[in-house]
Amino acid sequence: MSHENIISIEHVSKRFPVGDGEFTALSDITIYFRRGEFAGVVGPSGSGKTTLLNIIGSLDTPTEGTAVVMGRNISNLSHKESARLRNMHLGFIFQVYNLLPVYTVFENVEFALILQHKSAAERKKAVMEALEWVGMAGMARKKPSKISGGEGQRVAIARAMVKRPDLVLADEPTANLDAKNAHAIIQTMKNLNRELHTTFLFSTHDEKVMSYLDRMVHLEDGKVAKDEFIKTKTTKP
Amino acid sequence: MKLAFQLAYKNLMGAGLRTWLNAGVLSFAFVVIIFYNGLIDGWNEQARIDGVNWAYGNGHLVHEAYDPFDPFSLQDGHGMLPEEMQGNLTPVFIQQATLYPQGRMLSVQLKGIDVNQTVVKLPTHLLDSSSAEFPVIIGKGMAASAKLNVGDQVLLRWRDRNGTFDAANVTISGIFETNVPFVDGGQLWMPIDKLWEMTGLTGHATYFIANDAYVPEESAGWKFESKEYLLRELTKIINMKKVSGSIIYLLLLSIGLLAIFDTQVLSIFRRQKEIGTYIALGMTRWQVVGLFTAEGSMYSFFATVLGCIYGIPLLAYMANKGFGMPLSADQSGLILAERIFPVYGAALIIGTIIVVVVSATIVSFLPARKIARMNPVEALKGKLQ
Ligand SMILES: Nc1ncnc2c1ncn2[C@@H]1O[C@H](COP(=O)(O)OP(=O)(O)OP(=O)(O)O)[C@@H](O)[C@H]1O
Ligand SMILES: [Mg+2]
Repeated sequence: MSHENIISIEHVSKRFPVGDGEFTALSDITIYFRRGEFAGVVGPSGSGKTTLLNIIGSLDTPTEGTAVVMGRNISNLSHKESARLRNMHLGFIFQVYNLLPVYTVFENVEFALILQHKSAAERKKAVMEALEWVGMAGMARKKPSKISGGEGQRVAIARAMVKRPDLVLADEPTANLDAKNAHAIIQTMKNLNRELHTTFLFSTHDEKVMSYLDRMVHLEDGKVAKDEFIKTKTTKP
Repeated sequence: MKLAFQLAYKNLMGAGLRTWLNAGVLSFAFVVIIFYNGLIDGWNEQARIDGVNWAYGNGHLVHEAYDPFDPFSLQDGHGMLPEEMQGNLTPVFIQQATLYPQGRMLSVQLKGIDVNQTVVKLPTHLLDSSSAEFPVIIGKGMAASAKLNVGDQVLLRWRDRNGTFDAANVTISGIFETNVPFVDGGQLWMPIDKLWEMTGLTGHATYFIANDAYVPEESAGWKFESKEYLLRELTKIINMKKVSGSIIYLLLLSIGLLAIFDTQVLSIFRRQKEIGTYIALGMTRWQVVGLFTAEGSMYSFFATVLGCIYGIPLLAYMANKGFGMPLSADQSGLILAERIFPVYGAALIIGTIIVVVVSATIVSFLPARKIARMNPVEALKGKLQ
C-alpha cells in the first residue's frame, strides 16, 4: 500500500481563456507521486506550479488529461464529492495563511474537525496535539490578528494536519516568512512527514524549502523540465 | 446547519458595530410595527367597548324613518312600538331643540331616556334623583363648549307635536365623562317621560337600545341594527389605519432589509479569500451559501433580542401608562380616548418576528447565491469582481 500512487497526473493540460484566445498554463504533464513523499514543484514564476496544485487539490479541473488523487478522478467529481475529498483527505497551506479572523487559533484549527462531525472531546484532543506539533499550544486562545506571520503559518500547518490528511498541498508556504521561521516551518513539516507518513507536495521557488525536499519536479512554461530525486538529507544544521 | 449558525454568530460578533447598526435598524422597524399595531388594536378594543357601553348596547331597534346622519329625519323618525315587544329594550326619543347658554344660541339634540336604564353607562340616575323640574345631564365636552356647570339653569326652546315653540329653563343635574363623542357633543339627556310631556308625544321613541337578552324580532316600521353594524364606521377606520400603518412598516422594514442586503453584498465581495478557504477546508459551495445566509438571517435574531431589550420595557410602559392621543375626540368625531392603552397580542408579536426573520433570510440568500457559482481558485486569490 505504501507504494501506491497517491497522485497520478496523466497528459494533463490546463488552458485559461484570455481575451479572444487561450493561455496554456500546463501542457501535457504526466507525473506520479507516491504516498509518503516530501516533494516539491519548483520553477520560475508563471510556470504553472499553483495551477497544478489547484488541480490536485480538486479546486480546479484539467482541460485535458486525467488527474487521479486518492483513487478519484478529479474531472468526474461532483461539488459534494470534491468537498468531501478535501475535507477528509487533503490539507491546504497557503502563502497567505488564510486564517479565519474572527476565530481563535484553537477554533481555526478545530474547524476542519467540526466539518467532519467529530465530538468536542475528540476535537479538543486532536487540536491541542496539532498545536503541540507546531509549538503553538500556548497561544490557542489568541486571535490571528494577535500573532506574528511565522506563528500564523504554524497555525495554518496545524489546521492542515489536525485531521491527519493523506496529502498536504503547500503553495509557497514560506514566501512571507523570514529565514529563521521558514526553516522552522519546513522542519516541522518534515518531522510530520516522517512521523505520520503524510505526503507533502510543495510549490516553491524558495531555496530554503528546496534544501529539504526529497524530490523536485521542475516546471518550465507548463511542462515538466526535470524530475529530480534527491538523496534524503538529514536535518539541516 | 448548527455549524452555520455558530459560525454566523462568531462572524457577526466579530463584525462589531456594523452588526449592531443593522440589527438596530431592523429592531426599530420591529418595535414600531408592534407598537403601532398594538396602538391601533388597543384603540379598536377600547373604542368598541366604549361604543357598546355608552351607546350601542347589544344593538339598536331603529325607527325606519330615522337616519342618524340626517337631522331632518328626526321630525318624523319616531313612533310607538307595541308594549309587548319592548322587552329587553330601552327607548330613546330624540327631538331637535335650541339651548341659550349665556345668550349664545346652540342647536342641540334633546334625548329622552328611561331614567332607570342600566343598558348604557349614562348616569341617568342623576336625572331621577334631581328635584329640578327639567333636569338634564350633559357630557364634559358639551359642558365645556357651552360653559355649563352642575346646578346651572339654562334656557331651552323646543317645538311640541303641533310645531308650536315652547321654552323653559333646564337644570344641569349631572356632567359625565365619556370618550364617545356622539353621546357628548350637542347632546342633552333628560327623562323620557319629561320629553313626552314637553312634546305631547307620549310613548314615542326614535330608537331602542337592546340589552344582551334581546332577540331581534320582525316589527313593522322598525329595523334592527346589530352592534357590529353600528360599529362599522369604526371598523372601517381601524382597517384604514392598519393599511396606512403597513405602508410605514414596509418602508421601515425595507430600510432594515436594504442594510442587510448591502452588508451581504459587501461582505461576500470582501471575504472571497475566506470563502475560498472554507471550500479548501472541505465545505461545499452550498454550505458556504448557507453560512452567509445564516449570517444575514441572524441579524433578525439579533434585532429580535435588541428589540426585546429596549422594546419590552418601552412597550410595557406604554401599555401601562397609555399613549396620549394628539387629537381630541370631538375634533375627529371618532370614539377615541384621551389615552390609548396599546394591546400586544401574541399573534402580532409572533407574526412580526416571522415576517422579519423570513424577509431577512431572503435578502441574505439572494446575494449569497453568488457563492455557489464562484470559482474557488479565483476566490482564494480574492480577484473576483
Ligand atoms: N484564471 C487564469 N486566467 C488566465 N491566466 C491564468 C489564470 N490562472 C493562471 N494563469 C496564468 O497561468 C500561468 C501559471 O500560473 P500559476 O499561478 O500556476 O503560476 P505559478 O507557477 O504558481 O507562479 P508563481 O510562482 O508566481 O506563483 C501564469 O502565467 C498565469 O498568468
Ligand atoms: Mg503560484
